[in-house]
Amino acid sequence: MTKAGEDRPIMDHEYDGIQEFDNPMPRWWLLLFLVTVILVPVYYFAPGDIGAGAKKAEVYDREMAAFAAAHPNQGGVNVTPEQMAAIVADKAEVEKGKALFSTNCVSCHRADGGGLIGPNLTDDFWIHGSSPVEIHTTIDQGVLAKGMPQWGKLLKPEQINSLSAYVVSLHGTNPANPKAPDGVLATSAPAAPAATTPTTASDPTKKP
Amino acid sequence: MNARLDTFSYDDDIVRKFLFATIIFGLVGFLVGLIVALQLANPAFNFGPILTFGRLRPLHTNAVIFAFAGNAWFCGAYYSTQRLLKTRMWSDGLSKFHFWGWQAIIVAAAITLPLGYTQAKEYAELEWPIDIAIAVVWVAFAINYFMTLSKRRERHIYVAIWFFIASIITVAVLHIFNNLSIPVGPLKSYSIYAGVQDAFMQWWYGHNAVAFFLTTPFLGLMYYFMPKAAERPVFSYKLSILHFWSLVFLYIWAGPHHLHYTALPDWASTLGMVFSVMLIAPSWGGMINGLLTLRGAWHKVVEEPVLKFFVLAVTAYGMSTFEGPMLSIKSVNALAHYTDWIIAHVHTGALGWNGFLTFGMIYWLAPRLFQTQLYSKKLAETHFWVSTFGILLYVASIYSAGITQGLMWRAFDETGRLQFPDFIETTMRLMPMYWVRVAGGTLFIIGALIFAYNILMTWRRRPAAYEVQVVTAAPLSAQPAPHHAPASGGAFARFIGMGWHRKWEAAPLLFTVMVVVAVLVASLFEIIPTFLIKSNVPTIANVKPYTPLELAGRDLYIREGCFNCHSQMIRPFRYETERYGDYSKPGESVYDHPFLWGSRRIGPDLAREGGKYPALWHVRHMEDPRSLSPKSIMPAYPSLLTNPIDFGGIQKRVDAMAMLGVPYGEAVNKAEQMARDQAQAVATDVQKNGGPAGLQDKEITALVAYLQRLGTDIKKPAGVAVAPVPAKAGGN
Repeated sequence: MTKAGEDRPIMDHEYDGIQEFDNPMPRWWLLLFLVTVILVPVYYFAPGDIGAGAKKAEVYDREMAAFAAAHPNQGGVNVTPEQMAAIVADKAEVEKGKALFSTNCVSCHRADGGGLIGPNLTDDFWIHGSSPVEIHTTIDQGVLAKGMPQWGKLLKPEQINSLSAYVVSLHGTNPANPKAPDGVLATSAPAAPAATTPTTASDPTKKP
Repeated sequence: MNARLDTFSYDDDIVRKFLFATIIFGLVGFLVGLIVALQLANPAFNFGPILTFGRLRPLHTNAVIFAFAGNAWFCGAYYSTQRLLKTRMWSDGLSKFHFWGWQAIIVAAAITLPLGYTQAKEYAELEWPIDIAIAVVWVAFAINYFMTLSKRRERHIYVAIWFFIASIITVAVLHIFNNLSIPVGPLKSYSIYAGVQDAFMQWWYGHNAVAFFLTTPFLGLMYYFMPKAAERPVFSYKLSILHFWSLVFLYIWAGPHHLHYTALPDWASTLGMVFSVMLIAPSWGGMINGLLTLRGAWHKVVEEPVLKFFVLAVTAYGMSTFEGPMLSIKSVNALAHYTDWIIAHVHTGALGWNGFLTFGMIYWLAPRLFQTQLYSKKLAETHFWVSTFGILLYVASIYSAGITQGLMWRAFDETGRLQFPDFIETTMRLMPMYWVRVAGGTLFIIGALIFAYNILMTWRRRPAAYEVQVVTAAPLSAQPAPHHAPASGGAFARFIGMGWHRKWEAAPLLFTVMVVVAVLVASLFEIIPTFLIKSNVPTIANVKPYTPLELAGRDLYIREGCFNCHSQMIRPFRYETERYGDYSKPGESVYDHPFLWGSRRIGPDLAREGGKYPALWHVRHMEDPRSLSPKSIMPAYPSLLTNPIDFGGIQKRVDAMAMLGVPYGEAVNKAEQMARDQAQAVATDVQKNGGPAGLQDKEITALVAYLQRLGTDIKKPAGVAVAPVPAKAGGN
């Protein structure tokens, strides 16, 4: 730090006692200014993904395409009736599903599954099918028109399985003040697979 | 020459008035800040319908910017300008009008904002009658100021005056053009701009409100009070010139950096970024000139609290003006935008730069204005350390919160799914930091209370009657003509010799014209293309105006200040589109007068909220958010379920929109009936699903209708066909 005596002479003016030195502007400061000024046209007219010609939409499309190529199985994992039957029978799966249900589902279906904004899950009436595979599909794909989120995008495939097992286990419980029935009366217990279920060979427990 | 000497005195009474207003409204602004900080840490601190976060947050920002910083600027400007120009203000009457008018505007703001009267544009929330009042008071201030300049007894104007001139002129321009709107009621108006253009105008204004209300006026104050308090000459006259002009010219361009990755066209966003980066050096010019003025006086900083405050203020200025350009870089902004990082950034500036400069200035002014000793230097020292520690706690915690939040939003797990799909998880993680912020804010306020007490006790020691200092100076007409040394050397040598600028300093009118040219040229370079280039906003055939009921609901969304916590602008990133749905297109907000893109995500984005949940979900959620999402920090709005919809007022609002060019077709004749029909349909659906009956004439129905419409006009993404993204992703 220079001493006051080394300052360039004071300007020949003063304002209410305030004087000003005629010091040159710090060199590093001028250089910083110059560099940023030079960078402007360089950046602004730069080709590619930076500069004014960059199209954020195109960059996004490429990002999405790259992701899709790397994750071909994203969403919509299908399960077979046999796989679902095994999962539903597994007490550990039901317990895991219960935990997931309490954080993700209770706001619309109530803690006891009796229904609030979403339908009652304990009675014999089903809007989107009563078989474990159909329940799995409903959770995985959601029912966007009615406000049921597409949980397959938010939860992992094995979590969807556990959740399905828990929802199946809710059937026949008798919560207090359930929501009025909605949908079609299922003649058989939900454990029975329905004929219309789409099936594929993919293993639901394997990560995509 | 001394044949003609004028005898006069300075008007210090007006300075004392502004000083008290600064302290009172400072405390109010800080206190409201503490309340909104508490509301984020625990929603129980919301006392609806009036004292909710959405209504109080604008009160906090307006109080701190316009009431605290505004009064501080006027206080220091009235004191310094008279002395720098060796003249009393031109009209004591106009000075008083400025003071009382400004305080009346503040009181009007403090009443109307909590009542929900807002234009929904940040720092321009006040409704049209108050905007007109601001314009009138501002013109009075400007007339008084420029007439004072014209009768000055100092030939050249000092750098502090340059900054005041630039601020007065530019604030007027910004205020008028951003607030153009058509009234639809005594305290309700619609912006004449819509969507992309409205967003552009708002952030041209918003950014320059920071520039020309919180930066340039305070640089003016610094240039007067820093050398005064340090009793040292200003470091470099040449630096003053270069950093002043570059700041005034470059700042205006920077606004679009608030809209990176939004539906604003890429060219504008890039332009905003590069000009922001160029602002580092001009901003730092002020910091350097301030800090280097202290050379040879650093020992005084140890003893003198005034200088301590100034040093911290200028350092905070340097930090936030380095951070600002960094945040304007697109990739940095992608992480920081919508998070608390921005809140931390502005508080470095507001608490550190504006707050501490004001405190230092008032500690310096009080003994002089009250003609006595400062009551306690020790208390001033205590204030400095308590408030400094408060700022540190505030800023450190909120930086952590912002970065945590930004990183959690973008985190994917190994399967490519969002790691935190439930928005509330990202909110809960911030709670400890929100409580540290409350602690930091509390310390800052304790410091401010010590300050207020100290000044009050100083005031009580004042003499029975103030001694009026009599000053003598020769009028300009009796002074020798200015001698500007003939320039020598080549053009470049003449240019850097700054002799030309010395001439400008002797001609305030020319100087002012040059400022106007700099500000307008820079503005028009961006504004004209934004409004004229059609490709900026490609139209989308599916996008239709809001129905009359949805429009009424939108006005409720505005009244409750929902935009303070919820954005409606999904950026083109996979982590955003996975969470919220397809990114927002420019053509989607063409009927949004005003735009409601928001700038902060305390809650999730709502741009594609429509249809994501059943209507009943929204009813229950507005009534009590925690009944559906136990950890939600959103205020409850039970009164929406009982307040009646103002069906009678809907027609007028639809007509106003039609006047602004929104193609309403037959709705211009039967808006009320259309609204009633739609409300009946929504209410029936809610009741059918087990919700409460009789909501067809309640406000909640209009709000739900609006929310259910959001983002639904575009059904399919316009992106590549390789990876179709469902328009509605989940998430709660």
